[in-house]
Amino acid sequence: MKKVIEGSQAVAEAVRLARVNVISAYPITPQTHIVETLSVFCSDGTLDARFLKVESEHSALAALIGASSSGVRTFTATSSQGLALMHELLHWTSAARLPIVMAEVNRALGPGWNIWTDQTDSLAQRDTGWIQLYCEDGQETLDTTLQAFYLAEQVNLPVMVVLDAFFLSHTYEPVDIPEQEAVDRFLPPFAPRFQLDTANPCAFGSLVTPDAYMEMRRSIAAGMEAALDLLTEVEERFAGIFGRRWAAVEPVRCDDAEIILVTSGTVTSTCRELIDNLREQGEKVGLLKVKLFRPFPVEEIRRVLAPARKVAVIDRNFSFGASGIFAQEIRAALCNTPGHPPVFGFIAGIGGRDVTKDVLEGIYRRTVESDRPEREDIWIGLKEVPDAPEHP
Amino acid sequence: MAKKTDTAPVSLFIPRSYLTTEGNKTGSWRFLRPCYEEKTAPCGAACPAAEDIGKIEMLATQGLFKDAWETILRENPFPGVCGRVCFHPCEDACNRGSFDEAIAIHVLERFLANTARRGAFKPEMERLARKEKKIAVIGAGPAGLSAAYFLALLGYRADVFEAADEAGGVLRWGIPLYRLPLPILQEEIRRIEELGVRIQTGRTLSERDVHALAGEYDALFIACGHGRPAELGVPGEKSEEVQDGLSFLRQVREGTVSVCSGRAAVIGGGNAAIDVARSVIRLGGEAMIIYRRRRRDMPAFGEEIAMALDEGVELRELLAPVSIKSSDGGLAVEVRPMKVAGTDADGRAHVEPEGKQTEEIRIDRLFTAVGERAGEAWYEPTETGDGILRLSHCVMERKTGGLFVYGGDLTNATKSVAHAVASGKEGSMALDTLFAEGIEAVRPRLAACRVGQDGSLSMEIYMGGPRRNRSPHVVTYDEINAAYFQFAPRLRQPRLLREERVRTFEEVNLRISANLAIREAERCFNCGLCNQCDNCYLFCPDLAVKKDSGPLGRHIDYDYCKGCGVCAVECPRNALILEEEAYEEGD
Repeated sequence: MKKVIEGSQAVAEAVRLARVNVISAYPITPQTHIVETLSVFCSDGTLDARFLKVESEHSALAALIGASSSGVRTFTATSSQGLALMHELLHWTSAARLPIVMAEVNRALGPGWNIWTDQTDSLAQRDTGWIQLYCEDGQETLDTTLQAFYLAEQVNLPVMVVLDAFFLSHTYEPVDIPEQEAVDRFLPPFAPRFQLDTANPCAFGSLVTPDAYMEMRRSIAAGMEAALDLLTEVEERFAGIFGRRWAAVEPVRCDDAEIILVTSGTVTSTCRELIDNLREQGEKVGLLKVKLFRPFPVEEIRRVLAPARKVAVIDRNFSFGASGIFAQEIRAALCNTPGHPPVFGFIAGIGGRDVTKDVLEGIYRRTVESDRPEREDIWIGLKEVPDAPEHP
Repeated sequence: MAKKTDTAPVSLFIPRSYLTTEGNKTGSWRFLRPCYEEKTAPCGAACPAAEDIGKIEMLATQGLFKDAWETILRENPFPGVCGRVCFHPCEDACNRGSFDEAIAIHVLERFLANTARRGAFKPEMERLARKEKKIAVIGAGPAGLSAAYFLALLGYRADVFEAADEAGGVLRWGIPLYRLPLPILQEEIRRIEELGVRIQTGRTLSERDVHALAGEYDALFIACGHGRPAELGVPGEKSEEVQDGLSFLRQVREGTVSVCSGRAAVIGGGNAAIDVARSVIRLGGEAMIIYRRRRRDMPAFGEEIAMALDEGVELRELLAPVSIKSSDGGLAVEVRPMKVAGTDADGRAHVEPEGKQTEEIRIDRLFTAVGERAGEAWYEPTETGDGILRLSHCVMERKTGGLFVYGGDLTNATKSVAHAVASGKEGSMALDTLFAEGIEAVRPRLAACRVGQDGSLSMEIYMGGPRRNRSPHVVTYDEINAAYFQFAPRLRQPRLLREERVRTFEEVNLRISANLAIREAERCFNCGLCNQCDNCYLFCPDLAVKKDSGPLGRHIDYDYCKGCGVCAVECPRNALILEEEAYEEGD
């Protein structure tokens, strides 16, 4: 049934349909509508789940680590500072191989205090062993959340479903909410491969010596690699039931493109329109939407980007002292490909600033006009700022 | 590389152990050891009668009113009296005062006494085995009655001799009924008699009679009080219209004065002056208090002063009487304005005359209330000499005629009911120790019974009760984890309306409900006491706080306690300590 709902509500509907058993969260803007909606579902009986109110995001994830260890399906949602506070337990979750699913609403980190969208919060957690999926619209958010549970439970790794603050979390769009029966066919009950069991007591997460630690890390890496293959299968199964298909990366009009723009999140939708306009003007331009960030789909990206003359990556994030994070990853993916195209890294839309079609067209024109990028990070739309005032 | 899920399960190599971790005694890592240790609350240390107030309020919080009342009786035979007339130094010491407002301890004490009275509670008090020795107590005021009470608890026969025809002393004859109703006093005296204490009233004894008793009894406790009024030392104070306040109050209590019309002045700043003025108002007169210092320097209770002013008493500060003259059937009091010039040794303002001008105040009668002294010289102990042992609240004197202990107002620096109780308690302990272990043992034995470092004497400690083990450390406000407490206003004592107060001697303070009492008791920090709040149990990251059926309800499992100290830090009331472990070199 189609309904006009917020991106946040799309997440909540998917969590309800996934028959999650335990939800634990601490409210933070702009994630709050997700857990608000879920708390209503829990209180009115729509969803038979235990909703844990905790005193911090650290505790929110700690509680889920306990719950998930007991072999039940779990969910949390957070943003920005909240995710940063979870950092220690993000590592723990993946190394404990717990299939926890989280909705992460991209929000800038403070100070300056800013509640608007910015990907640095989730990208800064790229090494924590969580699968990361960046969504473009409400429908993709709902579908990806359902897939996230399946994927997580198959590879025993946690999944972060990432969506832009406000542009997605608070934007109302028509979203097809599937029937429970169809979701049940897609997503079977969680069948844990290990769990806390009083009949068979054991301890998880105990001391590991150098003799075994490395193999355990390799096992996590293997789980990540398995997820890459599995996602394609999941999409197939999902399309078979629901008739919708998403992808780890989605090339748009890239086949003969000389310049390919690379985007993630809601900027992609704006960019789709630009590509169509530019194609009408005869420009040989394409778009690559990157949805799956961890594991990073290196082969697929190489296949799409290597033939292009130039690549322009739009990063709504920044790694200080380096460059945009998607650009770094793409450069790394291409560097061993002989004759690979130069990668232009553009920083735009940080802290919720609009990335309009004009902004994107400016990026495109600048890429056309330069043979090589003048630096690794090109900041778009920076204003003149006065010198720092003297301390009074 | 990646394994297909339909062919083989995804690699899953996780740390998992089937061995118990019980063998890993993490307690060996500890260098700080948390211990449950109950400490001394500042209220109890400040109470002259050493009431275990933190414990009393904790029991009240739990609705255990009889236990709470008995905990008072352990240290003080007069909860009903002291809940009404005590100057409650406990409240000045209350740590809650640094947070919002002190606990209304005296209101709760009065509530517990009222509840015991209404429920006709019979106290179940520990009493030591009967002993052969017997003690005569001279004077049935609060000190003498307390001495008899504690002597009876310690197993002695105590006979009380009282000159008046009813027991109670200043409680019976000096304090007006609107502060202390007669049945309250009578019941507390009756409870002392029920312990076997015999009170002989109407027995005025001469010095010779007392010495005769000294031969008959093993010891005498002399507590005849201060019955003789001090003089102003100004011309005219012998005139007929001038009366000492204490004898006036006594006439009112005897019922021989029932009207006091006209305009009266009281000279003095203590509670007796206030009592006289408020009694005059109730008997139909107008009353003025003349005081040589300022209101803030008055020794009377602040609330009593406020109520007196509310009832229409006029207060003239910084005026000293110069002379008193008869004038037109009334009196003309000449007073001189005073000014504050520095501070006296006792901390009060030092005053001296301001200029040469005087003022004449015309009144119908004058009462003096500037203190009292002993009625007879032989009431008081010898100043110095062999066989004299000066204790904090009484003086023991062994002379050829017998063994004398002088107590109450005769020996107390502060003349209060609570100090009188302290005196009777100290006298009884001193005699008991003397009889059992000899004179040398008295001082050290008493020193060991102090509440806190230098607080008052506790009968609970003396008799070896369960609370004897509290550490003498007095808990300070910064040792309370105030994060666990919420601001809550102090209980407001409900009172008769002013219009009701000024025409009757009905008790001014009204009863409070059990709900209000429990709410007020719940404000108490219970400084240094474990009230089983379970914070230590909840916070311990090693599950090393174990519940048990012992008196504390819990203990620490030192096999696993790593000594992180979170239990001690999160204890709201400082009932835990952290001690350094005494490891041997090489451990």
